[in-house]
Amino acid sequence: MKKRSASTTGTRSKRRFCWQQRAACVILAMLITAALAAGCRKVEGRLLRVGLASEPKTLNVWLASDASSRAVLRLVYHCLYERDPETLAFVPWLAESLPVYDPAGKTYTIRLRQARWSDGRPLTSADVAFTVRLIKEFKTPGCSRWKYVLRVETPDPHTVVFRLKKNFATFLSRTLQISILPAHKWKSVANAARHAQKPLAALMRFKNEAPVSSGPFVVRQWRKGAYVYLTRNPYFFGKDKTIAGRRLGPSIDGVLFKFYGTTDVAMLALRKGEMDMYWHHIQPGYMSVLQKNPHIRIVNSPKSAIYFMGFNTRRPPFDDVALRKAVEVLVDKQFIVKRLLQGRGSEMWSVIPEGNKRWYNPGLPRPGQGLNRKQRIKLAFRILSSAGYSWKKPPLDATGRITSRPGELLTPDAKPMAPFTILTPPADYDPARAISGTMIQEWLREIGMPAMARPMEFGALIQQVKVRRNFDAFILGYGRLPLDPDYLRSFFHSRNDRPRGWNISGYHNPEFDRLATAAQREMDPEKRRRLVFAMQAIIAADVPYLPLYLPTLNEAVRTDRFTGWVPMLDGIGNRWSFCLLKAAKGGK
Amino acid sequence: MSLKRYIIRRLAEMAIIFWIIQTVLFFLFHLAPGDPLSRMVDPGMTHEEEMILTEQLGLREPVGTQYLYFLGNFFRGRFGISFHYGRPVARIIAQRLPNTILLFTTAVILSALAGTWLGKLISWRKENRTDKIITVGALVCHTLFLPWIAMLMLWFGAFKLGWFPVTGMISPELWILPQATAPEKALDIAWHMILPMATLFLIHFGSYLLIMRSSMLETLTEDYIFTARAKGLPENVIRDRHAAPNARLPVVTSVGLSLAFSINGGALTETVFSWPGIGRELVFAVSNNDYPLALGCFLLIAAVVLAANLVVDVLYGYLDPRIRY
Repeated sequence: MKKRSASTTGTRSKRRFCWQQRAACVILAMLITAALAAGCRKVEGRLLRVGLASEPKTLNVWLASDASSRAVLRLVYHCLYERDPETLAFVPWLAESLPVYDPAGKTYTIRLRQARWSDGRPLTSADVAFTVRLIKEFKTPGCSRWKYVLRVETPDPHTVVFRLKKNFATFLSRTLQISILPAHKWKSVANAARHAQKPLAALMRFKNEAPVSSGPFVVRQWRKGAYVYLTRNPYFFGKDKTIAGRRLGPSIDGVLFKFYGTTDVAMLALRKGEMDMYWHHIQPGYMSVLQKNPHIRIVNSPKSAIYFMGFNTRRPPFDDVALRKAVEVLVDKQFIVKRLLQGRGSEMWSVIPEGNKRWYNPGLPRPGQGLNRKQRIKLAFRILSSAGYSWKKPPLDATGRITSRPGELLTPDAKPMAPFTILTPPADYDPARAISGTMIQEWLREIGMPAMARPMEFGALIQQVKVRRNFDAFILGYGRLPLDPDYLRSFFHSRNDRPRGWNISGYHNPEFDRLATAAQREMDPEKRRRLVFAMQAIIAADVPYLPLYLPTLNEAVRTDRFTGWVPMLDGIGNRWSFCLLKAAKGGK
Repeated sequence: MSLKRYIIRRLAEMAIIFWIIQTVLFFLFHLAPGDPLSRMVDPGMTHEEEMILTEQLGLREPVGTQYLYFLGNFFRGRFGISFHYGRPVARIIAQRLPNTILLFTTAVILSALAGTWLGKLISWRKENRTDKIITVGALVCHTLFLPWIAMLMLWFGAFKLGWFPVTGMISPELWILPQATAPEKALDIAWHMILPMATLFLIHFGSYLLIMRSSMLETLTEDYIFTARAKGLPENVIRDRHAAPNARLPVVTSVGLSLAFSINGGALTETVFSWPGIGRELVFAVSNNDYPLALGCFLLIAAVVLAANLVVDVLYGYLDPRIRY
């Protein structure tokens, strides 16, 4: 009896096992069917799929400080003027023509085009005036540029008059570079924020997930964590218009932004054809694999950026310009570009990147260019010796030959130089900057300088150099410098040497301050250019910042679906590209 | 002590532990080096603008005052506003958490089921070739380096074979279509889950298998197993009805804690597969000094782990009648 019962239990167990097996098989079959069905799906229409390195954090223009948010918003909100992709000169965009400046009345008069918002309402001077008043009232980031604007007048729906307190040259090139917002959409938001305890915070927290657009596309859907989907704006003012010799579209149906956690995965997706463009800098290490794919084109563009070594000129040892100049000749920029950037970049000799043709001073000296290590050490030895530095054991012997192990470097008052650190971001944040720090440390030790490269978490590094000012030297970069050179004033004017100020080096030079103030106010473009050239020459001579290198911006696109990308400073992800892209012949 | 009194005492302990975690985390984040503004400012922003931004984000108050605000808000059910997203932390977590639970909890449950089932079977064939191969295989799986195996899965399954998607949780190309149906979307999610789930399955199942196997081997020496054999019961009945239920206790503890920790996702898995879960958000928040979001994520994890511990302890009483409270 017992035996029968046990065997019955065993049979039941087997039966249950079979049932479980069958259920598992059914689930597996379903998943495989789903995989096959989904795998066979083709992209419909002329939908451009763009890969981003991260999800946009917001579509609120006041909070958008990350690259992904700015990428999406670039297609949604537009400015009055756009840069020509070749000459970088201003081209009227939402404006009808270039502004008319009246020096006597200190006014800029701008005529607007006949344009509409994506909801069909007209875009008028009231929208421009509203945007400016919003900036001034809420003191949004970037508001200080508007402090010289006395008021905005709107004599008619298509004319805006900006009345300035005093002349300043950066009005057109910096101040006016704001996205124009639809007053009818933002009025209620501004009213609500006005009554909040923290008005600016309230304005920045507005979600704006369905922005009313003036650009070629309008946000159709944002599914968090997955994609942002943009479709064509039926009211885009530029459709079929010729601006700066280019007939605008857009010819594509929409843009689908997808997000990729790592560059490795993004590259697999690009090679597999799951995206048409990766809107992010691609490290040189990926190039060889991408180049093998006939459907992928790599676009190398110059960047408006600077990667540099900064010195603390407030305290020893880098309060001495001779020491900074010695460091300058010891640093082999060519080596950094060739080895660390694998040739995808250029050496920097000015604090303005070479791609910014209008303001870059090509006549600056290039100390140490083309020298080998021995020549660099000899040159640095001469600079330091003539400034009163000495060594316990000099790096050059009596015959002028370099000794293998130089002794400690002694300061002009014959004391051993105190060890100093070169702060860098960590290698996982930017390998080029971290390894540059180590290389520079070794180069400086060749002449007896007690240098120590120290990688530091990025936020902590910024706090150390920008807030606490407790550092000797650092290596940092600004990846998106404005095209107007007014940032030189931020970086080096003595007034900005204060906690959280941008004069991190603590550089003080009355002549530079005078030129910077004059350049800000000079309305004659040619005279201003000469002033900016002179400012660059002063910085090159005093070396508070040592420009190191400028990596090329490497972007990749697939050529089998779309053509017509417009190369420009800062890459192909510009408004022109999205207005001019066309479906490739025989494209999938 | 009755179960009720035991639970009340544990809840009181949990509240104290939670408050300690909360306080330590708050001060850790605020005293650690780093600047939440560092990624929001650029050279175009002046000193005054930075000061305005600092004040608006509430960062100008002394840390002690910020702590009191934080506690006050917490007890009113407000977890703060993320510096980065400008949205309430609770809403961000609510958006990400279901994605993490879907992937990680499913993976933990499936690997636990498979691991215990296989562990049970191979313990019965101790020392034979199958047992050796599977045990070594489980050890290898358990020690696999997750990003490596995840990239390998992607490269082979998504790129070489082309059977699976490279990334994400859904196919945007399908979801933007107005005619896409709910079953199609569900299948699409399942399709996207296969590779990350297979990766997690490989990593987790080995440990469950090994725990179950060793627990079963211990159980096999018990007297009641000899008694069952003496009664003449078939081997599969002894294994499934007599040995396995007693051997499952350590697995229950392990699964309970794994389920609790699964809500923090896995930053590495979520990053490699671009899975929009809470693990990625947590790492992002910490590295960007987004204190409110990082605190919100950590506190959620702490709460769930504490609760899971309590549940597992209570469950023990039901699974093992020898345990009394």
